[in-house]
Amino acid sequence: MGVSTETSRDSYASVPSETKDSTPAHLDRSTFPRTVSLPDERIHIELTYDPLSADTALSYTNSPAAGANVFFLGTTRNTFDGRAVAQLSYTSYPPLALRTLTEIARQSKEKHGLIAVSISHRLGTVAVGEASILIAVSSGHRRAAWRAGEEILDECKAKAEIWKREEFVGSKPEDGEWRANKDWDGEGNLVSHQ
Amino acid sequence: MAQAPTGTFQVHYFASASSYTNRQSESLPAPLPLGKLFEVLESKYPGIGAKVLTSCGVSVNLEYVDVEEEKVKLRDMEAAQDGQSRALVIIKDGDEVAIIPPVSSG
Repeated sequence: MGVSTETSRDSYASVPSETKDSTPAHLDRSTFPRTVSLPDERIHIELTYDPLSADTALSYTNSPAAGANVFFLGTTRNTFDGRAVAQLSYTSYPPLALRTLTEIARQSKEKHGLIAVSISHRLGTVAVGEASILIAVSSGHRRAAWRAGEEILDECKAKAEIWKREEFVGSKPEDGEWRANKDWDGEGNLVSHQ
Repeated sequence: MAQAPTGTFQVHYFASASSYTNRQSESLPAPLPLGKLFEVLESKYPGIGAKVLTSCGVSVNLEYVDVEEEKVKLRDMEAAQDGQSRALVIIKDGDEVAIIPPVSSG
């Protein structure tokens, strides 16, 4: 995948801050993928600009003690509220997002007695139909894994410091819109905030 | 990672905050009471308070902070005029602040 930053990392340190926009390190693609890997806790978290791999995600949660492996793959949809989506992209605040995702994994593991948890999220432009998030969990028996998988996804959508931007067919790229998960429920219905 | 110039803190903007300011990041003079952060941003980016910041969280050095509570503390302090300083949260030299709009992962 091509690496491009609008400003080189070397040039912006010396530039007066008030006069020039700078590209912070957390948006520099050469610093990705960024991962939190906790082998003792069997937690693996990843933020990457590359396509996500289901096999890799499942390899982190694979265990001979597991009787159940639940895997969720979230893909980018081609419409928003009836409008045709041309392109989607995700941006994040990686240090905080990794911390939040790790905490979500840790709490779910404890609550449901899971064996292992893996959460991966893609950043940058994601073509329609491709995976934007993978969640894999393993547990001794199926019920814990099913429940944990859904809860982890809900928690990610509510808390992880990641933002989706949609650009629409027939509109200019600058007319793209940032989404907010709190506006939509799990069935795609608009939630009113009264 | 680049260091902000001395006497400044770095503020990162995301999503709607980034679109509104047309920036991803900038450095601003430190120290600054946290309760004055939105005032400073409003003066630089008129309208940002009502259009963006009202729905945003704020983190300082990766910990979420309560800007509204700090605003109240500042107001109380100014109203009391007793010269006593309340325990205000101050954004310090070298701190990393982030404006966190409603998230949309998944």
